[in-house]
Amino acid sequence: MSTEVLPIFRRSIGDSWRSLLGWSLGVAAALFLYLPLFPSIGGNGEMQQIIDSMPPELTKTLGYEQIASGPGYTQGTFFGLLGFLLLVIAATSWGSGAIAGAEESGKLELTLAHGVGRAQYAIESALSVLVRLAWLGLLAALIVLALNESAELHIEPANIFATSAALVGVAFLAGATALLVGAATGRRVLGTAAGAGIAVLGYVFNAIANQVSDAEWLRAISPYSWAYREQPLTEGADWGGLTLLWGLALVFVIGATLVLRHRDITG
Amino acid sequence: MTPAVRTQQLKKRYGSRTAVHGLDLTIEPGSVFGLIGPNGAGKTTTLRMLLDIIRPTSGTATVLGQVPQQGGPALRRRIGFVPGELRLEGRVRGRALLAHYAEISGPVAPGAIDDLADRLGLDLSRQVRTLSKGNKQKLGLVQAFMHRPELLVLDEPTSGLDPLVQREFLSMVREARANGQTVLLSSHVLSEIQQAADQVAVLNEGRVVAEGPVASLRLGRIRRVRATFDGVARVLLAAELERLPGLRDVELADGDAVRLTATVDGDIDPLVKLLARFRVLDLAVEEPDLEESVLQMYGSERGEEANRVH
Repeated sequence: MSTEVLPIFRRSIGDSWRSLLGWSLGVAAALFLYLPLFPSIGGNGEMQQIIDSMPPELTKTLGYEQIASGPGYTQGTFFGLLGFLLLVIAATSWGSGAIAGAEESGKLELTLAHGVGRAQYAIESALSVLVRLAWLGLLAALIVLALNESAELHIEPANIFATSAALVGVAFLAGATALLVGAATGRRVLGTAAGAGIAVLGYVFNAIANQVSDAEWLRAISPYSWAYREQPLTEGADWGGLTLLWGLALVFVIGATLVLRHRDITG
Repeated sequence: MTPAVRTQQLKKRYGSRTAVHGLDLTIEPGSVFGLIGPNGAGKTTTLRMLLDIIRPTSGTATVLGQVPQQGGPALRRRIGFVPGELRLEGRVRGRALLAHYAEISGPVAPGAIDDLADRLGLDLSRQVRTLSKGNKQKLGLVQAFMHRPELLVLDEPTSGLDPLVQREFLSMVREARANGQTVLLSSHVLSEIQQAADQVAVLNEGRVVAEGPVASLRLGRIRRVRATFDGVARVLLAAELERLPGLRDVELADGDAVRLTATVDGDIDPLVKLLARFRVLDLAVEEPDLEESVLQMYGSERGEEANRVH
């Protein structure tokens, strides 16, 4: 019997460290590009004038109402927009690649012909996606923390980690969706569509709810709203939202495990 | 003794298409079993069912005494598998990839990987994506053989290999048998089966159309005959040949001498007696290779089906 632990997880990390490095650079670049600009454009009221002159629908869609405050700026530029985009894309591509991608490339057939169970494969794959996203989330939090003072953001350090947990949660939910649909269909493109779909719909529902008060109920079914509606950068961790995000992601991972056990591997 | 592999009425259906119809196979431990047939005959589907990569629609399979789905990872550690369509990619180097497979298969003896790589002439330091098809196939063979599994399931294992490496592969199969390992080998290259297998099943359209010791299929009763005659008129010879039973595909060519090619199905004695009455310049009597035998079987199968239809 093999004495090595988590062989699928380790191979997945070993195969993808280059891509993880790329995503890390992307996250760092976004933060280093935007946050240091805050004192010059956000903090002096100039930014607020620009925002006020923009159509309110646009500012509400982008979540720029609070842009004049440090937390609002950080949320509006990174956590709510670029960071969200980067992590969701990474999560979706990793999630759909882990099972469906491996199946299409023929790798899954050979791996599962060895001493690896289907459930083990799905769980270790999900863990690999989670660990990589958690790394990106931690990196983002540490960079925000490092720039907090110099960029005059005035964010409570604990809130940075709470918001990062929300960001990683919403991205992992997209990744788990991609994993589940990939596990059910064996088609990478369907997994990617599902993962990106849930993230985009969540964003759109949230944006609609920002503008139309009658559509407030849309927040209840928007993962993006679960992550950010309580403004964790100023208010601290929203445990209800975090539970929803992480709970549903966990359900999807379990779902992926179950469906993979009960079907033929093609490819 | 428990058979290494046994299938009973094993069936696999994809939608309305049936890939394998009620397959009954028994493979004795320590033997080399050849599964031959044209592409689409159901060979790959059958082998995948033994590894629990796909599940049968009905019927049962037992592998090393266990049902694949119930045996799970522990059973698969005792099997070495080369998939029919081996696709390996990525920047990972051969040695690292094999180390990964070694972790998830049975225990690999120290040095086993290098020994196999040396035998096959495989460079383990290269990135997998840069390897040629043949070298990828060698990697596939190494990961199947390296833990000395009780059962080797090899789906078209020599595709892409050059003849020298194919020969090395055949000696690896013979050594495995000498070690008491069982080998299940699928191929559409019939000479490979001819050289390696003890028992053969011929698969066509998801059914076994012939089964038995490889010798029995090869020998058959069919012979190809070529002869050259001197001092005899073609018409006369043709008239004589007409009367022989079991002679088919007769072709006579005129030239400096009369040349005959024909297929004898059945007793060869009447032909020999006839030839003896003429001056024979050259004579060749050959047993057909497996390919020809198989074609003949498929031919008769198709013929019967055609007869049933009309």
